[in-house]
Amino acid sequence: MGTFDFLLQGLAVALDPMILLYALVGVTLGTAVGVLPGIGPALTVALLLPVTYGLDPAGSLIMFAGIYYGGMYGGSTTSILLNTPGESASIVTALEGNKMARAGRGGPALATAAIGSFVAGLLATIALALIAPTVVKLALVFGPREYFALMVLAFVTVSAAFGDSTLRGLTSLFIGLALAVVGIDQLTGQARLSFGVPQLLDGIEVTTLAVALFAVGEALFVAGRGMHRDDEAIAVKGSLWMTARDWGRSWKSWLRGTVIGFPIGAMPAGGADIASFLSYATEKRFTRHPEEFGHGAIEGVAGPEAANNASAAGTLVPLLTLGLPTTATAAIMLAGFQQFGLQPGPLLFATNPQLVWGLIASLLIANVMLLVLNLPLIGLWVRLLTIPRPWLYAGILLFATLGTIGVNPSPVELGMLLGFGVLGYLMRLFGYPIAPVVVGLILGPMAEQQLRRALAIAQGDVTTLIASPIAATLLGLAAAALIVPILMRRYGRGDILVKIAADED
Amino acid sequence: MRHRFPDNPRRPDRAAVVIGLLLASVGGLLLWEAHRLPQQGGYGGVGPADVPRMIGWGLMALAVWTVVEAMRGGFEPRPRQQVPAVLWIVGGLAAQLLLLPVAGFSIASGLLFACTARGFGERRLWIALPAGLIFALLVYGLFDGILSLNLPSGPPERLIYGG
Amino acid sequence: MTRFILASLMAGVLALPALAADYTILAPAAPGGGWDQTARTMQEVLRSEGISESVQVQNVPGAGGTVGLAQFVASAAGDPSQLIVGGYVMVGAILTNGSPVGLDDVTPIARLTGEYEAIVVPASSPIQTVGELVDQLKADPGAVSWAGGSAGGTDHIAVGLLAKAAGVDPTKINYIAFSGGGEALAAILGSQVTAGVSGLSEFLPQVEAGTMRLLAVTAPERLEGVDAPTLAEAGYDVVLQNWRMVAAAPGISDEQKAAILADIEKMNASEGWQKALASKGWANTWLAGDAFAEQLAKDRETTEGILREIGLVK
Repeated sequence: MGTFDFLLQGLAVALDPMILLYALVGVTLGTAVGVLPGIGPALTVALLLPVTYGLDPAGSLIMFAGIYYGGMYGGSTTSILLNTPGESASIVTALEGNKMARAGRGGPALATAAIGSFVAGLLATIALALIAPTVVKLALVFGPREYFALMVLAFVTVSAAFGDSTLRGLTSLFIGLALAVVGIDQLTGQARLSFGVPQLLDGIEVTTLAVALFAVGEALFVAGRGMHRDDEAIAVKGSLWMTARDWGRSWKSWLRGTVIGFPIGAMPAGGADIASFLSYATEKRFTRHPEEFGHGAIEGVAGPEAANNASAAGTLVPLLTLGLPTTATAAIMLAGFQQFGLQPGPLLFATNPQLVWGLIASLLIANVMLLVLNLPLIGLWVRLLTIPRPWLYAGILLFATLGTIGVNPSPVELGMLLGFGVLGYLMRLFGYPIAPVVVGLILGPMAEQQLRRALAIAQGDVTTLIASPIAATLLGLAAAALIVPILMRRYGRGDILVKIAADED
Repeated sequence: MRHRFPDNPRRPDRAAVVIGLLLASVGGLLLWEAHRLPQQGGYGGVGPADVPRMIGWGLMALAVWTVVEAMRGGFEPRPRQQVPAVLWIVGGLAAQLLLLPVAGFSIASGLLFACTARGFGERRLWIALPAGLIFALLVYGLFDGILSLNLPSGPPERLIYGG
Repeated sequence: MTRFILASLMAGVLALPALAADYTILAPAAPGGGWDQTARTMQEVLRSEGISESVQVQNVPGAGGTVGLAQFVASAAGDPSQLIVGGYVMVGAILTNGSPVGLDDVTPIARLTGEYEAIVVPASSPIQTVGELVDQLKADPGAVSWAGGSAGGTDHIAVGLLAKAAGVDPTKINYIAFSGGGEALAAILGSQVTAGVSGLSEFLPQVEAGTMRLLAVTAPERLEGVDAPTLAEAGYDVVLQNWRMVAAAPGISDEQKAAILADIEKMNASEGWQKALASKGWANTWLAGDAFAEQLAKDRETTEGILREIGLVK
């Protein structure tokens, strides 16, 4: 049987009414739990996986797919409406999405996130079905030096994209880099900046930092501003749905996000967060409305949301073709497979094609289901904003702390949540951007470790860093990204850039 | 969005100087740590101390830059803050942290709920406290009971949900 | 308050008919990891086999299990209902993290499961046997890069022990630590490194698919269904098992210890446990009593020695 026969067979199974019901239940549960601030997709999947135990394999698989995609999508809802991302991949969604929501454009923001997730999920799942073996070969070419080059490129483009004020952007980034030093150095086992506190040896949890800086910091800042201000969030202003202009501005971003997200998700050391950062940087560079960035540009929601969903599908490439779980969610998925006594690995496509294609068909169905469920719900979600603020923020903080308490109820962890919450508040107060801190925490250790690994493998020979064509190309791109804006400024085309800089507060 | 004071644009900003000093102290901490760490570069030549040292110097440079900007009045004035509101919420989080191991999830989180509501202007604590407790108990039941997330339990949880 | 007392009384009465002990098992890791799964499988089996009426699992993650261990020693002393799951990784982590509490401070009950380490090379590598790999190591230790888990972990220790057994200075090995989640596996598959070291189960699917060549395992004798020599067979005296165990609180009486051991023995003998092990692919390496205490002491000695020689413990 060929690829398409298997896929059709899988779809035929998945279209059974009972199976569709399971998909609906999975998507609903996944969205419902994923939408709680502070609870990201990995925790959602881990929590809901046991729900699928009692079902037959087909039902279990489809419900699982629904929970997974539902959890992924649910996180963006709170990012957009409440500026409280549950995990690192939806942080950039909050940047523009929340500005849109504050301006009464929460409906279009949620819609472009939902449709973008759908489009990216669809295309990436099809790509998974058709070109997984090729993509995985490419992904394996990436060794430490190529990853290092990719991280350098990410640093350059991403920090430029966050730069309202170069000084403040860089300061935020360096705070993140400093926090990233905390913990045991993986390559030598040396404890760094841990001050003998054993809980610090594992470093600072990205989720804790993200939830603290965004959810807690935001709550403190909003409370501190007081109630009598006229920039109250407006639930709906103008159309609840996307206008023709919104569509026109979104579709390219969806496609770009997919193209960035899928391969990065497929890389063993990639990840949805890096994909979403790069997508945001790309959108900011390609947009025709640079003046809107930082004030609610729809591209800044459409691109990253597509990228993180495409990346989620990309994660399945190494999982299904090599048996490598590359993210926390993928590791939990592996546990899901083991329910059926299956070990995903290099032989899975050959020995269990029905299961693989069944899963891919399930993902397609779950994706459609998610769209069907969520588009009508947008009207309801935006009403979250009409909950009186005392109750709304009390609930947000309760769920934000729940995520931390559920995973690690240690006073040190909760103390960090509080401390970083205050940091997030102070940074907002003094106009420092928040996202670069998390970017630094995620990219910093990756860049450091990959650099040191690459040099160790080459026994200290620095030329190894440019000895591979991929690494050299990526570093070249990074250099160009650094130099071209300077040249543009010098040769008089910088007025746009100057104007943007002046517009920012 | 911010209040501007165009008539006095070049006043040195004391808060910003403090930020600069804080950055310098974090930078100093990293440099001190880098000094303490052994040089174990191994075959790569880059050891555990090298990257912290780089970040430390970077922070030092940013500290100087920040102080210079502060002296030139490059920082904009902050919006006026309702300090009590912020303190209510910080207090609520601290109370939750301290009470959690002793009193369990619902009492600790119920208190956080009420304090947050108070910080956002809800003065009727006799409503907010029980509401928070009941809400937290429901959340506990949902997550600990149905989804088997292990949350710390206290008297109310044991009373309602058993062990 | 009265209602609370009443409720506790009622709970007590309800629990009375089952005379079996109640346990709380501390998993010193986040939900989902190996120790957590061990604790939860124990919980499941202890309950379903009727050995214990109520079993709770508590997660205290951090620092290779030493955070959980420290909390356990502080809060569970003398309480026979408290158990902790741990493993070989803890032996190294206690040393490298300078943990104030060690495995001396708990009462080890039994080793439950374990896995041997495996040494592999990419399928495209010219190296065919572990002897050839060691020859290269002897000729130029820096040119042989090893991919494995974090520094000071079981994989790193295995490489150190092999180098030592082959007469190569363990400080000279070029060990590249990767974070979990298959990164090391990807580096081996992509031929970024010379060789790889990890738990056998991680490599087996790749070996079966022909993408990696299995050179040797760290078992004492050949493993059933695994076509590779042991290191001992190849002439290097290295035996290393990454085991998981269960321990009880410090300061319990001998009778209490015997009662716990009896319960765990019952669990180990049960069909439910065997089935659970089989479905998870865990090997039963049951060892209890003095034999286990002896093995533990030996493991600690070897580990401390090699970690010192690698330079991770001062």
